Amino acid sequence: MSASGTHEVLQSSPGAPACLLGNVAIVRGALEAGVQFVSCYPGTPGSEVGDTFARIAGDTGIFFEYSVNEKIAVEIAFAASLTRARSLCSMKHLGLNYAGDPVSTIPYVGVEGGMVIVSAGDPSAITSPNEQDQRHFSSFLYYPVFDPATPEDALEMTRFAFPFSEETRLPVLMRPTTRVCHIRGMVTLGALPETRNEIRFDRNPSRHVPIPVNARRMRMEVIDRMKLAETLLADSKFYPRSGNGPHGIIASGVAHAYIHQVIQDLELQDRVSLLQIGAYPVPEKILTGFLATVESVLVAEELTPFVEDRVTLAAYRNRMTLPINGKATGHFPLAFEYTPELVEDAVRKHVHLEKRKPATVSVPDLPPRPPVLCPGCPHRTTFYLARKVFGKKTVYPNDIGCYTLGYGTPLESCDVLLCMGSSISQASGIARTTGERTVAYIGDSTFFHSGLPALANAVRYDDNVTVFILDNLVTAMTGFQPSFSASDRLSIENTVRGLGVKDVYTVNQFDIEETREALNKAKAGSGLNVVICNAPCEVNRARLGTGAKRPPLTIDQERCNACSLCVRVLGCPAIHVEDERFLIDEDLCNGCGLCAHVCNQDAIK
Amino acid sequence: MNQIENDPGPPSPHRIHLVGTGGQGLLLAARLLTDFHLQRGRRVLCSQLHGMAQRGGAVQTTVMIDCGSSPALRAGSADFVLGLEPVETARALPYISSATIVFMNTVPIIPYVLAQQQVRGRKEAKYPDVRQLEECIRSVTPDLFLLDATELARRAGAVMALNMVMLGCLFGTGLLSCAPEEFLETMVKNAPPKLAEINRKAFSGGVEFGSKVVLVGNR
Repeated sequence: MSASGTHEVLQSSPGAPACLLGNVAIVRGALEAGVQFVSCYPGTPGSEVGDTFARIAGDTGIFFEYSVNEKIAVEIAFAASLTRARSLCSMKHLGLNYAGDPVSTIPYVGVEGGMVIVSAGDPSAITSPNEQDQRHFSSFLYYPVFDPATPEDALEMTRFAFPFSEETRLPVLMRPTTRVCHIRGMVTLGALPETRNEIRFDRNPSRHVPIPVNARRMRMEVIDRMKLAETLLADSKFYPRSGNGPHGIIASGVAHAYIHQVIQDLELQDRVSLLQIGAYPVPEKILTGFLATVESVLVAEELTPFVEDRVTLAAYRNRMTLPINGKATGHFPLAFEYTPELVEDAVRKHVHLEKRKPATVSVPDLPPRPPVLCPGCPHRTTFYLARKVFGKKTVYPNDIGCYTLGYGTPLESCDVLLCMGSSISQASGIARTTGERTVAYIGDSTFFHSGLPALANAVRYDDNVTVFILDNLVTAMTGFQPSFSASDRLSIENTVRGLGVKDVYTVNQFDIEETREALNKAKAGSGLNVVICNAPCEVNRARLGTGAKRPPLTIDQERCNACSLCVRVLGCPAIHVEDERFLIDEDLCNGCGLCAHVCNQDAIK
Repeated sequence: MNQIENDPGPPSPHRIHLVGTGGQGLLLAARLLTDFHLQRGRRVLCSQLHGMAQRGGAVQTTVMIDCGSSPALRAGSADFVLGLEPVETARALPYISSATIVFMNTVPIIPYVLAQQQVRGRKEAKYPDVRQLEECIRSVTPDLFLLDATELARRAGAVMALNMVMLGCLFGTGLLSCAPEEFLETMVKNAPPKLAEINRKAFSGGVEFGSKVVLVGNR
């Protein structure tokens, strides 16, 4: 918030320089294009797109929702587009896979109001189970894709994308990556529009219903629309070229920002020519026009050799034989984020400069700081109690959320994991083949996101599974977005009972005895049962100022026999060891009392 | 009267690297630095490593003022490192060169993994000796300055104001193109009144420290 109280993304001084987070620049671009409808499912590194809209929706009259999952987000945004609203839908790279079904057919049907899907990529899988390259959606599903290198690009491309989407009737994919999403950089603001698309639904089933007879017609239309997109892009400003040197460099995304810097730092302006690829499909004449003016070319892009392959094809088709350097030649690695050093090394090799001589410094062995469940986190209590009751031999499929941090020592509560909502289905599969009761952990948001169909499946086959729904009333991991379970209109317990689960235990896991009793019943049960753990997220409670702060605990050094049990089984970051004494950091301790329960010397009060 | 040349030229670029742990207010400090320089017509790029910092992880953020297009800091290219925690300061060593000015808070935040390692038989798993970390950094740059910034913040009214103490050190060097008072004014104007006073004291404490350091490095 600025001093005037309006969000920085709403500042209204066209031409003024501003410094916006890449994700916020996307929001600004959409605002300047007159976006009317926004849906999202949060996910790092793209969450701030939806979160920013959530803050300004009330002031701007934009329809906004955190959707239950990405598939619904896409469908609802597309439906808004059919009423001619300009719509935007935001998610992380993996969300686009979950939404794959509607995503694959929208280009066939075509949009009415411009539609932009933002899908943030995570090279190096910093906060994801994989790294993937959504640019391939341009070639296999007919999506024009924008690939910003900077927040400035992100703003301009998003603003451009809406009318472009309307003209081609194609949905557009905006694909920023972490180093664009989470950079605050300079942007030039444009004007906020006075008018918006008129909302109107023109009934036309043959245009809007892809039954086979229509789909085959649409199949041909989408090819033409993609050709139109390519023609429009060829005249756009998203393939800027600089320099006239003989060594060509083609770069996309944040690799372009690194290349640009390396050229300045090494003063190569006269020796290289640089072409940025900002959008796909890349018009072939842009590539061949560039290749015709250089003696060799280096292709710099993160993730797959997407541009590199197109450059190779374009050269082959046009009988050009210049050397093409990139991932195939080992100038760049096949996986993970690039760094300024890595890019500099590739450029030096490409232009035949001597190798960089890196200065070395000796860095001592430093203890790592992996992420950990917060002090007082209710998930820790659930994991501890469940392992006490269900034992070490039980298999524990886990899911995507803070509770994934049950992985590894000491909580040992994440034996298998795949994707959003997979815990329940994985538990079903393992329970059936092993014949053993299996325990699934899933959070409230993930349960509504994709756990529901898996639970219906487990009910249908009465699998020997106990499902823990960890209802902490918030989507904590991605930045405390409101959970569906916090809405008065939705109740996890009613939902579960409605699906036909008979044995449902709802507990506050800090009521340890009551919880243990429920878990014993669940363990002894036959077939499927569900335990709903409803203690709220402690960090969110502190953020919102709801409820009293619990006083920190201390360890009585007289009573403590340094058995180390509290540390060995809980992994609470508030307990540390100093000269073999066990101490609680009173600034960190949340007073949850689990360590006092665990201590068999009665030393923690 | 004669006209003599007195044009200071364009303000010099700065690369300011801030490191610490989740909850120390690094991102806010970076944001204040970014906004302040932006308002003075500088071109600013601020990179942040988000993700799971809230869950006790390390946090790094870099504010680059008039530095070009790269969103990531090159090895050895930091002009300033503000280390809010000793181990995290040492972790920034790849960005430190003989020309880097480093302010390091001496108060550790103990990584929880150490307790885990100790109770599993690795008695030697201890927080590194801060003096040893100091030597490692000093072997790269002579301009390393240690302070108990947490205590300065506590005396100002809140440990949370640690980030303000460190910003004070930075401005205290006089090497930025703006006087500390200008930054203080902006900061105080944008903070709630109760915090403004704490921030002012914390920042001033840092300025006092930063203005006394004697720089000997190669720049």
